[in-house]
Amino acid sequence: MEKRLTQRSAWDKVLTNLQKRSLWMLHYCTGCGAVELPPTMTARFDMERFGIMPMVTPRQADILLITGYLSVKTLKRVVLIYEQMQAPKYVVGFGSCTINGGMYWNSYATMKSLDQYLPVEMYLAGCMPRPEAIISGFTGLIERIDRGEANTWEDYYKNYEFYRKNQEHLFGSIETNVDVVGDRQYYKFTEVQQ
Amino acid sequence: MSNTLNPRETADPRQKRPAAAAGPARTEEELTRAIAAETGAADFTYKSPRRVEGSIPEQDLHSFAAAMYSRVGFEHLSAISCVDWINDGEFELVYHFWSYRDNCLVSAHTRIDRAAATMATITDLWQPASFFERDIHEMFGVVFAGNTDLEKYILTDWDGPPPMRKDFVTRKFAHEHFHYKDYEPDWDELVQGGYHSNRGEGGTNG
Repeated sequence: MEKRLTQRSAWDKVLTNLQKRSLWMLHYCTGCGAVELPPTMTARFDMERFGIMPMVTPRQADILLITGYLSVKTLKRVVLIYEQMQAPKYVVGFGSCTINGGMYWNSYATMKSLDQYLPVEMYLAGCMPRPEAIISGFTGLIERIDRGEANTWEDYYKNYEFYRKNQEHLFGSIETNVDVVGDRQYYKFTEVQQ
Repeated sequence: MSNTLNPRETADPRQKRPAAAAGPARTEEELTRAIAAETGAADFTYKSPRRVEGSIPEQDLHSFAAAMYSRVGFEHLSAISCVDWINDGEFELVYHFWSYRDNCLVSAHTRIDRAAATMATITDLWQPASFFERDIHEMFGVVFAGNTDLEKYILTDWDGPPPMRKDFVTRKFAHEHFHYKDYEPDWDELVQGGYHSNRGEGGTNG
């Protein structure tokens, strides 16, 4: 991490400068928090002035926004979607449900902490966060990308065994059709020894 | 179950609706008299406007439901719900019948044993009852004898006990099964006397 920050090439800086202004967001609207997104996207708060706009497919999206609780069934679909996305990719947990379960803290059907199953770049706290909070969070994400610090997605390749173990603890083994271990070698990441 | 009770098979196929389903709307008092006369269930009473309620022994429910359809004219099975009376050792199944003629809901309450929770299916009378029975089987563990499709309904990856039973402690399950982060901040003791830490395991169902 330290090496990346200090030895960023000029091309890296150009690349992040372009990336930070064209973030396409796939919003996985599982919970009630999705009602805050229309005002965020449309005329009043106008998210697109920051270059963030909704995208319909995971392969073309940069941000995976999880708006609310995930039951075990929906978490399985989210994992399938996440692995299809092209790196660099940023998971944003929206609302308290993704942080510790929120009002579903004792539910038998919902997962409690999203960062156990996917590498979360950023949490937007609140039940639910207002559009101002979403805009504030996304501008923070833009700054992190600009500084070259938004690298949490690499953790999924480095710590794949940890995430897969937690996923399989909830819903058994799944076929994702994405060779994460092969991608790890492609990106030249080394596995973190547990 | 005897197939002769099935109104869909015994009725004239050209006549889709039972004859009793047509006619002028009946008052709640007239309905309770009709239910008593046609089904023999005498304790159905006026509950509130357009609501009639009563209880039925477990073994009589299937014939009662068949008679409600064909002879009293309640064509629609609105829902089946289940209540866990854990202190009585019983499940209470509530069958809600709706009449389009009277715009009235009749609720038939049935108590069954909780330990060996088995109930006769009514899918031969109303095929959509299969969904309710699957749901109750999944959430309470009640077995509906004769229902051939009691597969997982909503909880497809579930391997725990039926979660809506009162002896299922959801908080304990969530602690053991999920990566639960407990939240006991320092100010909690000062502000509300350690509300979170003094709640104990279980207590209520959750």
